[in-house]
Amino acid sequence: MQGRISKSATGAALAALITVTGAFALPASAEVPRKDGHPDLSGFYNFTRIDPDAPAARKLISEVPEGAVFMKDGGAYEFPPNEYGGLKPKPDVLAEAQKWSPQEELKVENICKKPSIIYAIQGPFPMEITQGRDMIVMQMEYFDMVRVIFMDGRGHPDEDAPHTLLGHSIGHWEGDELVVDTTHLEPATITNNGLNHSEDAHLVERFRLSDDGQTLYSTEYIEDPTNLENTGYRLMAWKKHPGEHIYPYECDPFAYQEDE
Amino acid sequence: MRLILVAVSALFLMIAGGMAAQAHHSFAVHYIPDKEIDVTGVVKDFHFANPHGVIFFEVVGDDGQPVTWKGETNSPNLLKRRGWTNKSLQPGDKITVHGWPARDGKPMVRVGYVVKADGTKLIGQSSAEGIKGLD
Repeated sequence: MQGRISKSATGAALAALITVTGAFALPASAEVPRKDGHPDLSGFYNFTRIDPDAPAARKLISEVPEGAVFMKDGGAYEFPPNEYGGLKPKPDVLAEAQKWSPQEELKVENICKKPSIIYAIQGPFPMEITQGRDMIVMQMEYFDMVRVIFMDGRGHPDEDAPHTLLGHSIGHWEGDELVVDTTHLEPATITNNGLNHSEDAHLVERFRLSDDGQTLYSTEYIEDPTNLENTGYRLMAWKKHPGEHIYPYECDPFAYQEDE
Repeated sequence: MRLILVAVSALFLMIAGGMAAQAHHSFAVHYIPDKEIDVTGVVKDFHFANPHGVIFFEVVGDDGQPVTWKGETNSPNLLKRRGWTNKSLQPGDKITVHGWPARDGKPMVRVGYVVKADGTKLIGQSSAEGIKGLD
């Protein structure tokens, strides 16, 4: 299936690789900055070419839950109409997705609708990470979104707590990987072409720096038992650019309207 | 209408295949990735605003009547890092826009690059792999 890499197929390939090379035994590197005993992810990052064979990427892919389909729209690719990257929407959700009209998006009332973090995290825009011990902040250029990831051991709030486009994110370290778990998401697009997630969507992201500390890789694993019959994941990569900063986004709903 | 439809090229396919999801709405659902066109006209207005910049330019059709085209760029945030400003295009500028036509046949093009009368070339569409192949 073109463009779809099943987790099982990927896993088989990776298993073979491990056998031959011991590929997942990532060498420790003095190049990765550290803070409070963990890799320090702080810095400005811009999207870069995704190399799925990079050791950090392979490690992350190996940790994606079994059965998740690979969605190739992370960063540099977008799905055409009626293609959802291997995700299987529930019948009613698929019917709604197929009614979606691209032209509706260009209307003033829709043009600046923010996505949720599920779509926003894979867009080709920079982000700046500020890492503290108890909190990590991700300032994203896309739609001026600012994420707060709680690292202080708290859990998610009650089910009835407000759902937002950023959701509620808690994180922890597993070795040198940052694992972020996000719930309480407000329904929004998954693939930017009509397929939406529900408020029951659950996102698990893993972030890992390359051995030289210059490229940040991440996976986002998406499950939404209300809207989807299966699960999926994306792979992303960002290059560190010291000294740069985030620009304001300030979406203009009238950008497409010719001046009178 | 000075509209030149250019045959699909392997180079173009390589570029289009790697194009990035530049903002809130998708390239792939609005534009034909395996066709490229050149459209020549005169700038009426230039909106350098997110989610996408828009060049409004007037093109003389085969029947001699003016048609307003929209040239949609990717996010101005990305273009700023590539040297564009909100004054890169001014009303009255004669330009040729190279890019990808709208799926619905409307006079709209996704901007690959813009060539001004003085030969200045403004690169618009990029991918996560950069602008390799466009110039």
